[in-house]
Amino acid sequence: MTSTLNRRRFLAAASAGASALAFGGRALAQEKTINALSHLVHQNVLTKGAAGDVIAPWREAQKAKISWTTLDSNPLQDRLFREASLNATEFNVGYVIDNRMTADVAKLFEPLDAMQKADPIEAFDDLAPGLVKAMTVKDKLVGIPVRHATQALFYNEALLKEAGIAAPPKTLEELVEQAKKLTFTSAAGTPVTGMVLASDLAVFPVMFARAFGGDFITLDFKLMPDREAMQKGLAVLADLLASKALPRSYATTRNDDMVTWMQQGRAAFCVLPFARYAQLNNADQSQFAGKIKAVAFPGSATVSGGAGMSAVVESWAMAIPANAKDKELAWSFIKAVSSKAVTLGMARNGNGPVRISTYADAGFAASQPLAAIESEVLAKARPAFPAFPEAVRAQSVFLEEVQLAVLGRKTPAEAVKAIAERVQPLLPA
Amino acid sequence: MERQPRGLAGVTLPFIAPVHVMVLGVIVIPSLFVIWLSFQSSTFGQSARFVGWDNYVRVLSDPYFWRALLNTVLVIAAAVHIEMLIGLGMALLFSAGLPMRRLLLVVVLAPYAISEVTAVAMWRFLFDPDVGPVTAAIAWLGLPALDWTFVPAHGLILVGLLTIWLHLPFTFIILYAARLAVPKELYEAGRTDGASLWQLFRHVTLPMLAPAILIAMLFRYIFAFRLFSEVWLMTQGGPARTTEVVAVYLYLEAFRYNSFGSAAATAWIMVAISLLLATGYIWRLKKETSHAA
Repeated sequence: MTSTLNRRRFLAAASAGASALAFGGRALAQEKTINALSHLVHQNVLTKGAAGDVIAPWREAQKAKISWTTLDSNPLQDRLFREASLNATEFNVGYVIDNRMTADVAKLFEPLDAMQKADPIEAFDDLAPGLVKAMTVKDKLVGIPVRHATQALFYNEALLKEAGIAAPPKTLEELVEQAKKLTFTSAAGTPVTGMVLASDLAVFPVMFARAFGGDFITLDFKLMPDREAMQKGLAVLADLLASKALPRSYATTRNDDMVTWMQQGRAAFCVLPFARYAQLNNADQSQFAGKIKAVAFPGSATVSGGAGMSAVVESWAMAIPANAKDKELAWSFIKAVSSKAVTLGMARNGNGPVRISTYADAGFAASQPLAAIESEVLAKARPAFPAFPEAVRAQSVFLEEVQLAVLGRKTPAEAVKAIAERVQPLLPA
Repeated sequence: MERQPRGLAGVTLPFIAPVHVMVLGVIVIPSLFVIWLSFQSSTFGQSARFVGWDNYVRVLSDPYFWRALLNTVLVIAAAVHIEMLIGLGMALLFSAGLPMRRLLLVVVLAPYAISEVTAVAMWRFLFDPDVGPVTAAIAWLGLPALDWTFVPAHGLILVGLLTIWLHLPFTFIILYAARLAVPKELYEAGRTDGASLWQLFRHVTLPMLAPAILIAMLFRYIFAFRLFSEVWLMTQGGPARTTEVVAVYLYLEAFRYNSFGSAAATAWIMVAISLLLATGYIWRLKKETSHAA
């Protein structure tokens, strides 16, 4: 039998298809769905790890499913803001980085004060106040903190031992000395670099500037309040590169490279968030599982109270796009994720917990070797720079000048001068 | 009774209308929107505001744009011409007869089937300054190292090599097809007249391949001007923005700094420059085709 496609058959088939889609869509719509736009790490800490799928009880209670769309940080922020700029979006919840929540961006998200008042999050005051403040724009709460990434100094204990170093550094000067000593070929024949750092985030040079009491942009928008400290920080980085204790490929090194280098024993030190501990020591990936440990990043001995320097912290928050559908369900999801139990579960799965009480939990402290140090560092930590419209461009300018100084194409003094001249016009008036 | 033709509009339009709608929706309207956007100041959370030519002035007075443009022109000029020479040589070699020609064709065309992301990941590993096998081989041979993570010129050379590797199959296949279309009689006549191999190439092959060469170069110039993935994934324009190309500059303006007005202006400047670059080739092509006619 032969069949031919004519106009009537085509129209009939098209109508049947459209009907099926319409009715199918209605059937599917009977199950509630939260469309979440996030980084993969946010999905993983809610659903995988030592504590398992900690959001399952909420899904069952709400008879809802969670549809995750995950992207890397920058594309994620771009997509989220783009979605929130449309007339309507399918995404009910989006994850926002603290330094991206400017006054203009905040307009794209639903103010959460009324929801919090009507149906409050459990023990709201327990959430780290600094992180809540970062999500409060013009007195409106626009995001609920869900994760912090506080920077630590990770070290490979086995390599330190092999080089005859008994303990990790207590001052920046010791760190430099140890990093140089650890630039060697290990007994396994692996060429080891003292330290590996990514060059595409302001976090790392800011940590070195803070070790000398300096900063990049303070929360009250002061640019490099202590320029000499920034120069000293850059000089240390340049010295590390010149002595090969920082890889020559510094300018193309990314965050993931740091993880790989540490796991393979190609670097002895790196700066990463405490939450990376589990990944660095994952036996399936790391050749040094259980040997990679962390301490607070040490301050310079030349600064009084240097050991108590402020580490850089970056936080993520959950927000509801103002143009989203079913905001009630979105708030229910946010409430569940922010609860004490889920925050604790996520922390056990490798999340930086935003509740102070999580660190006080005896079980958590016992299961997480870094919990006590992290809690101590977090208490003094602050962001690398605050949110403002040209923050990303300011970070790019800063990184460009830092790279030039570290690679030896400018002196630290020239780089700092250029940062001051180029970043100042980008700051809010 | 035989139907009378209803004229061009009545008969043809329903068939070609979907294409027109698609072109209008996918190319014309977005292009008009980008023109409009290029005269606005626009970012997330703000209404677009008319700023006249400010975005064009801002981009054209930005030294980073000019550096990116210079990098782009250097890389594509080198890559397109080297691709042309290698592609031509390979086309002649294949047409002269090679053992296992089909297998070799698959090998030569393979890079075109590989996604740019995969290719860059592969090349990053091969040329890793510390553990890359190619880096090790270069050192073993005693050749100077390709210090692409540190020296900007080396970074651009590596990007150029990767571009050539990725796009050589396109140039090759056009030239190979054109070479196969050259009548054998012309070569036989040349040989009968006592022409040497060089004379056959100079007076038979080259003139017959000229239109194909022009078309391949024209397309490659236009495609290569959009060079992005190779640079973004290999060096991200670094160290310190020294290997940035125009498409990376545009990406940063649009998707990193969310400055949509200046990104739109950059896009139209790119269109204008690539048309300018192509003008010579189009003029030559027109001349070739009018001669042929």
